[in-house]
Amino acid sequence: MPTYATELPVRDELDTAHTEAMAEWSGPGTWWTGTQRLAIVAEVRRARDAAPLTPWQSPSTVDWLIPDDHPLPDAVVDVVWRLTNHPGTLTTDWHASILARGLEPLAYVEVVSIVAQVNCVDRFADALELDRMPIPEARPGEPARKAPDDVEVRLHWVPTADIGGPNVWRALSGVPAELEARSRLSTPHYLEGRAVFGDVVSDRFSLQRVQMELIAARTSKLNECFY
Amino acid sequence: MTFEAIAGSDNGDGGVRHGRLLVRLAEAMWEGDPGSLAAVRDELLAAAGADVLVDAVAVSANFHMMTRVADGTGTPLDPGADEASAGFREEIEVNDLVSRRHVPSA
Repeated sequence: MPTYATELPVRDELDTAHTEAMAEWSGPGTWWTGTQRLAIVAEVRRARDAAPLTPWQSPSTVDWLIPDDHPLPDAVVDVVWRLTNHPGTLTTDWHASILARGLEPLAYVEVVSIVAQVNCVDRFADALELDRMPIPEARPGEPARKAPDDVEVRLHWVPTADIGGPNVWRALSGVPAELEARSRLSTPHYLEGRAVFGDVVSDRFSLQRVQMELIAARTSKLNECFY
Repeated sequence: MTFEAIAGSDNGDGGVRHGRLLVRLAEAMWEGDPGSLAAVRDELLAAAGADVLVDAVAVSANFHMMTRVADGTGTPLDPGADEASAGFREEIEVNDLVSRRHVPSA
């Protein structure tokens, strides 16, 4: 049964990728439990739907915004809101301030990955006036808490593995399961990883490549992303 | 593709088929205003069809993800892209972005 009830021609691979993404979010990851990962999903939605805060206003500093029994540390809630609503304003100092509040560097990477993926999936649904996927029950289990042996801070703020490829490809490599999850979502939305910089002329789906790049460039500019 | 279209939908189609509408769609998705979204959806549907609408939304959604991956992790621009883009970054007005990061010179 398709994820989205619509007459629009949502490709099967796109529909399936979204279903699988939600299933992955609901289970234990590398650093967070299924309950915590789904709380990140819910928090992205809350951040997007709330009255906007300025970039320098953290939700943890706003009275009553974060309930006492919230399953996530305040620092994570602050990351979710800032990254969802003001991604182009992040700085080295901001990242350092988040880690100083006790968040493990690779646990932070997993948060970034989930926030980014949820922004993709939900913005797709919202733009086509489809119902966002419901948040399921969390699957039990403990996070693996295992990092690749060669992970260290290299060119990014975050630790990465020495896997080669463009810097944005390496960005999530400190948590390989998240790099794979992000890639599985990108392929039906845009291009399979190695085609991004390899084949720059072939059309894809119903779009000419130049149309895709115009949408990509304008979306990146709106998000104030230099990369 | 011309660079003006990246700056906004007021700048024509950038030499791209349905370019102005595709840029408007990206802008409406970013703004999140239901009225603007509905209007541009209808126009793109009429001009290009439902497949193009869905695929264009999918591409823009992907870049709401990738920008957050890049900027959430402090990803610096690759040296090759850095050199290749130096000549037009001023034109597309990205040199002053907070998110500007380069690989340090050796």
